[in-house]
Amino acid sequence: MRLTSTPRRISRRELLLTSSAAVTMLATTGAPKFAFGADKTVKIGFLAPLTGAVAAWGKPGLDGCQIWSDRVNNAGGIEIGGDRYKVEFIAYDNEYDPGKARTGAAKLIKEDGVKFIMMLGGDTWPGVQPMAEREGMLVSTLLPSDLTPDTKTLIAPCEVHPIYNVTGVQWLAENKPDMKTAVICAQDDALGKPSVATYLAAFEAAGIDVIDEPLFFDPATTDFAPVMTRLLSGKPDILCLDTCYADYVHPLCEQAFQQGFQGTIISCTADFYPKIIEKTSKEFMEGFVFQFPDFDDPALNDANVNFSKPNEFFQEYANRFGESEWSAVSWEYASIMDLWADAASKAGSIEPGDVLAAMKSSGKGKHAFGDADWWGEELFGIDNALVGNWPVVVIENGKAVIKEYKSIPDWWNQHSDLVIKHFRALGQMWDQRG
Amino acid sequence: MTEIILQTTLNAVYAASYMSLIAVGLVLIFGVMGVINFAHGELYMAGAYTVVALYSHLNFPFLIAVAAGLAFVGLLGILMEYSLFRPLRDNPLGGLIASIGFLLMLQTAAVLGFGVRMAHIKPPIQGKIELLGAVLTYQRFLVIAAAILLLTGLYLFLRKTKIGWAMRACAQDREAAALQGISLNQITRIAMFIGASLAGVAGALTAPLVSPTPYMGHSVIVTAFIIIIVGGIGHLEGAVVAAVLYAFVHTFVTTFYDGVVADIVGLVLMLLVLVIKPTGLFGARERA
Repeated sequence: MRLTSTPRRISRRELLLTSSAAVTMLATTGAPKFAFGADKTVKIGFLAPLTGAVAAWGKPGLDGCQIWSDRVNNAGGIEIGGDRYKVEFIAYDNEYDPGKARTGAAKLIKEDGVKFIMMLGGDTWPGVQPMAEREGMLVSTLLPSDLTPDTKTLIAPCEVHPIYNVTGVQWLAENKPDMKTAVICAQDDALGKPSVATYLAAFEAAGIDVIDEPLFFDPATTDFAPVMTRLLSGKPDILCLDTCYADYVHPLCEQAFQQGFQGTIISCTADFYPKIIEKTSKEFMEGFVFQFPDFDDPALNDANVNFSKPNEFFQEYANRFGESEWSAVSWEYASIMDLWADAASKAGSIEPGDVLAAMKSSGKGKHAFGDADWWGEELFGIDNALVGNWPVVVIENGKAVIKEYKSIPDWWNQHSDLVIKHFRALGQMWDQRG
Repeated sequence: MTEIILQTTLNAVYAASYMSLIAVGLVLIFGVMGVINFAHGELYMAGAYTVVALYSHLNFPFLIAVAAGLAFVGLLGILMEYSLFRPLRDNPLGGLIASIGFLLMLQTAAVLGFGVRMAHIKPPIQGKIELLGAVLTYQRFLVIAAAILLLTGLYLFLRKTKIGWAMRACAQDREAAALQGISLNQITRIAMFIGASLAGVAGALTAPLVSPTPYMGHSVIVTAFIIIIVGGIGHLEGAVVAAVLYAFVHTFVTTFYDGVVADIVGLVLMLLVLVIKPTGLFGARERA
């Protein structure tokens, strides 16, 4: 049945050209941006995805920073070089797009005069790197896989993603030794691939057989049934969801549930996990292993934990934004600000170079989960990642519970060769990344 | 292996069902109005958010929310026709640009109304059908059944009713149709309502399966364009056949290879069709 009117029909060529033009227009549409905070003293840039598929790893972090700045500013600010500074966050939504990240970095540095920029990193870091290097701007990333020997002013002071994922696999092997086979899936991007390499190394070190090639899917995927059918075809004991975004973890879990998976799921994150339970069942999600605790967990009151009053922070977050809005990054950017504030006080300066020098002067730092070392030379070509302990979190009776803190350096000392082997095989070593 | 092939087939049938609804709606609008509706993916998103609002937030029955999604998005279509496409009737490229503006307005409205994060919808129907080890959930079955019913109904409507004939006449030659006393305004309004509501009902039915976000329309519209190019621009049957073909190819390649390769294969399929039969599988040669 032909439904095309000939007199004013658009030719196929016009259709293709105009569609391309329209896609280009969409891609270059201006990013929403906003700012909040006090009107004085030191400005900190927040350059992360606040909208789009990766917003769950940006927006909750900004919310956490709001609590952090209120805490600090209400206490009179930070003492730096004999003066007291209040902190103002200037946020820019990069939509997880390198071009928009570049525009955001230019605005934050040139127009707003920020002294430090916090990023999620990943695909957006290459957009920022030239300007950060040129301006000597101190930038933090949650993804140390952005680090190379050239990224002298880029630090990964909170997450050592994806290396901490080894602790979950290590715990699983120690506590569920009957689990012997695994499969892995991930979105095909700068976040997914290094994480896959890490999980492959961790499974190999634990003697767990990965029975199929890792399955990479397009980040635009919306129907995960075919992905899950492939993953479950070998009847694995462990289903590894790598560092999939929350928008993928949820439908993947739902599909695993629908298609009858009965083993254990391990994942880097399980953001908004009560919603996954709602879509599957408490029994299905029992034993789900991941890496990011709820901060109301009593185990965070351990004397080694450096994050200030974690339970109160969580409560304040829940009061302001709702408990169900808590995500993996809600505390992370705030934790980075703790390190920055300490270093600025120590340096007596807010200038990026001085703060960085003070931060790394002893080779050690106070990471949220305990004292840690500046590390990374072997894997990233530069010691700009702060690494120490990391918690293993398991869902028990519908609630995330910290089961154990495990030492990443201890694991690394025994199995570094495996990580390097798999990083290199997937082209993720610093000298292989474009 | 039989179990995997059967499961993959069921997955492909589901994908073909909802993609057919979206692609046929897009083709109908293009066929009758000559407008490339770039906001079609956002109409799909609007249908999904109708379910979020009515079913998840206000606890209406799921099927009522789906029906409301169909009607609401159909009305959005009429709004687009009246305010955007009718004034730009003789300027199809202007219509395309206007549809992009409307796309951004719908996205912004969704962000303001529901936030940037994915919405969670509790499953309205629990349970599943098991076939030789393969699984088809009732929710997915509902999408397949609804697609078959709606597309059959649309086919009969276009073939057996006077309005359907008028719509086809407008599509073939608008001026000749007008000379026969057919109201162009009325026909384009109806076409826009039907085309938009098909996208809306697809979004509403699949909302519990995809966790809606304000940006969910992007990936859908790209796939829909591939389908209508493969099927032959302006052909309803072509859109359905291409949706089935694309869904099976994409689903089987994803299952037996991986998702990234499946996307490449989908694009290669489109390029092959353009090279071998530039008018698409069902397309006719353009008249001079």
